[in-house]
Amino acid sequence: MLVQEMMHSPVVTIPPGASLQEACNLFSSRGFRHLPVVDGERLVGVLTDRDLRWATSALCPEPRKLDEPVHTAMSRPPITIDPLDPVEDAARIMREHKIGCLPVMDGPALVGILTGMDILDTLIKLTGISLPSSRLEVALDDRPGELAHLTAFLAARNVNIHSILTYPDADRLVRTVLRVGSSQVRTLAEELRQEGFRILWPRPKPWPH
Amino acid sequence: MAALIHRAEYAQYDFGPEHPFTPARLEMLLDLLRELGVELAPLAAPPATREEILTVHDPAYVEVVEALSRGESRPEAEAFGLGTPDNPIFPGMDLAARWLAGGALHGARLLMSGAEQRVLQLGGGLHHAQRNRAAGFCLYNDLAVAIQAMVEHGWRVAYLDIDLHHGDGVQSLFYDHDRVLTISLHESGHYLFPGTGHIQELGGGYARGLSLNLPFEPFTGTEDYLEAFDTVVPQALAMFSPHVLVVQAGADAHFADPMGDLALTTQAFETLYHRILDLAHRHAQGRLLATLGGGYDAQVVSRVWTILALTLFDQPLPETLPPAWIERWRPLLGETPPTHLHDPVPAYPPMPGAELRSRHNRDTVSRLLDALSRYWL
Repeated sequence: MLVQEMMHSPVVTIPPGASLQEACNLFSSRGFRHLPVVDGERLVGVLTDRDLRWATSALCPEPRKLDEPVHTAMSRPPITIDPLDPVEDAARIMREHKIGCLPVMDGPALVGILTGMDILDTLIKLTGISLPSSRLEVALDDRPGELAHLTAFLAARNVNIHSILTYPDADRLVRTVLRVGSSQVRTLAEELRQEGFRILWPRPKPWPH
Repeated sequence: MAALIHRAEYAQYDFGPEHPFTPARLEMLLDLLRELGVELAPLAAPPATREEILTVHDPAYVEVVEALSRGESRPEAEAFGLGTPDNPIFPGMDLAARWLAGGALHGARLLMSGAEQRVLQLGGGLHHAQRNRAAGFCLYNDLAVAIQAMVEHGWRVAYLDIDLHHGDGVQSLFYDHDRVLTISLHESGHYLFPGTGHIQELGGGYARGLSLNLPFEPFTGTEDYLEAFDTVVPQALAMFSPHVLVVQAGADAHFADPMGDLALTTQAFETLYHRILDLAHRHAQGRLLATLGGGYDAQVVSRVWTILALTLFDQPLPETLPPAWIERWRPLLGETPPTHLHDPVPAYPPMPGAELRSRHNRDTVSRLLDALSRYWL
């Protein structure tokens, strides 16, 4: 998924000369926590609610007054991202710098903003449940054709795959979590076991019957 | 004493010989009740009309079901959840589903007119059907059609779902509706179809706090289940004070059911049914509309639902199963058929991890109650 599919646009900005009081009003009336600071057309920094609280705190060695300009309190230089960068890059950059937002720059133009919440929304979209479905969890060997073998098996039974997620496990196994559009996943798991697949969920019942 | 609703046409709701939701489950049950000498004078209800189905379903969806039912082919079928392994297309499926919805609706009308206090619809319980989508063997949501009629009658309706699976269709159809309380007990959506039914699904708008979910860990047994039921359900009903209690009485939370991983016994179901009767008496003016639901093990479902029927009829439970019935159904019951109505005690050996499972289940109940405290005064 690309940044341009996840970002918020258009983006509300504030000029560097605006007062901290004005910034505070914007934060509280719009529910923002991040404001790109734009001088004319040029992005010069980002003011976060944390920047504002620190700058105006009694704990700050040089506390600013509420009528002082935004540029005295903003974070800079801004760390930005391209609209065509993928979600994994956005997540990595935000994690590395421990920051909560990335202004999205297309050349010189500010075209949107991506926040930590947008990344969480994306995680929900990638891992969540959009349609009635069952969880099927399989440990696949880490070699070509394993996933194809699994999906061909499901296709042959007309079982639709709503989502599929894989991540590396110990012992060179690839843990594969599927959401499949069938409630009869126990029968499916049993057939997959007979086919030689390592099924992690659903498990055989622990009682005899 | 309860009124019984059933007719032979319910057997038309049949997805084919390979499908678990087979009408043989109903035949076996009726045959067992008859063999036990229970006097059955089932009321035959008319099918729900198209208009009645449209009180809860989208016209575009119903139109596709009707077309497929006539044998026409529709490329958009799959987008409506039809023509899948769960919901295969079969000729006459529209009418077959309307027979079931008609039965539930008839039950609702008997209650609304005051003719009956307790109604058992022997069939239906198609709780997964959504406004514009078939799901999990469910085409039309018979429960929702009945609930909608009672809401239009001016009633507050409490819906209790003890099926193994989350009652997602009924929940979503009344999610924002402040005259319908839905409570579903089920195996956690983290593990089981349809994947929903988490404690955070609390209802929307003015109905916030009127959608309750009790998801259980896999392999949860009777004790944890009943403890959670007793902690949440009575106070929810007392708070809501409904005019009627609607129960989806699926039998698939039984330990031997092939679909899932809950571990109730027939004894647990008997206790539950008594609890439900008591709750209907205390909090719903004695009015109860019960339907069947999921339940897929031939050795289990007839026994569980016979306990349901006899409990609702205020009749004593026999200890053993009639040999003639066992003989007749041996092809489905298998080589070692059950001989008693109830499960043996203990029904299965103790399972590892009980302590952790109980703690997790209790934490879930606490979190639910914490969240609800914001909405219930």
